[in-house]
Amino acid sequence: MTETDDIDVETAVPTDSVEAALENLEGDGLEGYNYAYLDEHTKREVRRATLKAIAIPGHQVPYASRPMPLARGWGTGGIQASLSLLGPEDTFKVIDQGSDESVNAANIRRLAEDTAEVATTTDTTEADVIQTRHRIPEEVLTEEQILVLQVPVTDALRKVDSSDAANRRRHAHRNYGKMWVHLYENVVEWGEINIASRYPTMVGGRYLMDPSPIPRWDVPKLDDADTLFVFAAGREARIYAVPPHTGVEPLAFEDRSFQIERFPDQSCAACGSTDTYLTEVETDDGERYYACNDTSFCLKRQDDPALPKDHHLERSGVDWGPGTPDTGATDGGDDE
Amino acid sequence: MGYVAVTAGEEIIERAEDLFEKQRLAGDEDTITVDQLEGQLERLTAQAMSEGGLYAPRLAALAVKQAQGDTVEAAFLLRAYRSTLERWDESVPVEPAEMFATRRVSPAFKDVPGGQILGPTKDYTQRLLDFDLEGEDDPDDPTETWDLEDAEPTTLTNVMDVLREEGLVHDPEVPDVDAPTDTTREPVTPPVDRDAVLQELARGETGAVTALGYSALRGYGQVHPTLAEVRVGKLPLTIEHPYTGDEVTVADVDVSESEAVVPVYAKRDDPQFAFGYGLTFGRNERKVIAMTILDASIQLDSEDEPAENAEFVLDVVDGMDSFGFIEHLKLPHYVTFQSILDRIRAIRERQGAGATGDDDAKRSTADDSTESGENEPTDRETIEASDDD
Repeated sequence: MTETDDIDVETAVPTDSVEAALENLEGDGLEGYNYAYLDEHTKREVRRATLKAIAIPGHQVPYASRPMPLARGWGTGGIQASLSLLGPEDTFKVIDQGSDESVNAANIRRLAEDTAEVATTTDTTEADVIQTRHRIPEEVLTEEQILVLQVPVTDALRKVDSSDAANRRRHAHRNYGKMWVHLYENVVEWGEINIASRYPTMVGGRYLMDPSPIPRWDVPKLDDADTLFVFAAGREARIYAVPPHTGVEPLAFEDRSFQIERFPDQSCAACGSTDTYLTEVETDDGERYYACNDTSFCLKRQDDPALPKDHHLERSGVDWGPGTPDTGATDGGDDE
Repeated sequence: MGYVAVTAGEEIIERAEDLFEKQRLAGDEDTITVDQLEGQLERLTAQAMSEGGLYAPRLAALAVKQAQGDTVEAAFLLRAYRSTLERWDESVPVEPAEMFATRRVSPAFKDVPGGQILGPTKDYTQRLLDFDLEGEDDPDDPTETWDLEDAEPTTLTNVMDVLREEGLVHDPEVPDVDAPTDTTREPVTPPVDRDAVLQELARGETGAVTALGYSALRGYGQVHPTLAEVRVGKLPLTIEHPYTGDEVTVADVDVSESEAVVPVYAKRDDPQFAFGYGLTFGRNERKVIAMTILDASIQLDSEDEPAENAEFVLDVVDGMDSFGFIEHLKLPHYVTFQSILDRIRAIRERQGAGATGDDDAKRSTADDSTESGENEPTDRETIEASDDD
């Protein structure tokens, strides 16, 4: 009965009768739910899994993912990780495919606002916790911030074997031969590696990790960062992490290097940036243009086109993936 | 630019919710009551309870109403609600033989101890649309005039027990009744114990369980069972009284149960039938029979056929998981799609396919529409160059 020790009698939903429970359902908003929706026992469990994940960078830690009031596959792992970390003093930012205003981001933000009473922001530099679907922001994240990435498929090896049981054995033995063969066959068949996002990435020289479907553009940002990256999957019930200042290296060959997405001769139609991840937009009249994917940073660049990605830091020239100094990836060649 | 920066996201969500609610209220008819759903569409509420893993007929009726009849959505509502509730106690394990059966058929024997009870069923009804149901007005109970004086409930002997006494069916491994696995509180990680398999199957989506069970029967597997019996009825819910420690029955739970023998001999030196078991909340015979096939198949522990591979079955059988991930494809994917476009264009260029094709034409159009051509990045050239390595 240890689970019931944590009950906050004041906030627990009455279970003495169906009528009482129904009455409670008809009450105001989320009254009757615990702070940050999950009960304290569950949040503690998620935090324990997160701590374990930090202790073993890149290793997938199983946890008992709870049913959330969002559909599985829509960020339920991310929101569990976020809600377990957030406190009333925190500021929360949610982005979906680079946008704060996408409908699903708004929905997740609304859940955190309603249940955890956190302040929210769209400004990357002001957030304490950022939950993201498939992007790492263009602005440099700091050691004060945590990035929570939503994860649909937890294992990079799923590409080469559908069985988690078999893949867990491979991870235990650091046996990534099958993935190397897959990449080699890619090169033989297509001349280069044709993996777009979810690029298989080695963490701390030990565990092969699926960095979630972030574009290859964002993968170098994981390497030796100041920030804690937490990867959380709700449907597949796994949490893994890249702690600050961990070596993260995308798999590649000496003569077939890791390549980020190219936007030859393109710049953002809104702010003119040429050092950000762009996405194509097809217009009604058959035109195509490119625009910054990180809408929050794009708005800042529209005011100040020369704004560097580390503008908010005391130091400058910070390495933060493509378009920043000292990054190996911008030359499209070196994967170090 | 609507899709890139959908503004006022929360307002849009609220409007979408309003439109959905309007669908339910648009007609001129009275709204259907939770009582009516609970009383007359019991199969729907039973399915929601079964897949939701929460026995709460009243809440299930409410969920079905809110979900406008979508059972997976209703089960989802129940699960999300249940996950916020504290667990106060665990019930005492119950013997299925204690079931108060309203229906019980044993295909394995012509007659069995306790007899065959056909009970309420449409199994033998001809499937003809009953046009009298349209516009029916206060119909009479067709069983009103039945003489029920002799109809006393009898205790049923479990058919499987009869076979086990003779040593024809091997015994299941004894589960740890003091610490049963609970897959809602512990992650499912292969290899999975049988109690976790049964729990996941019992909560599985009806269509998925049926389809996978059918796959084994259809030939993708070795299990073609003989049903020892299928039962529908009430099981007592018994708990230990917190003060006296006595066992007290506090409620009844409607369940469907199925057991089968499978003509696969488990051991060469002592040939015995394999077996399968199924049980789920509410009345859902097709799901429990399919569950029985899957339990038997999974116990064969082979990776040769989909239904015999525990990992495969448990990965795909849950309605919440499949529903969520299938429908998530509706979310924007333009970041990943851009990444995919980059790869195919690079490979087409490498093969010379894209060099003069549609891509370049469109790209120059796009180029014209951009405003800041002067800011050409120096690193772009090198990416391009390295691409041609």
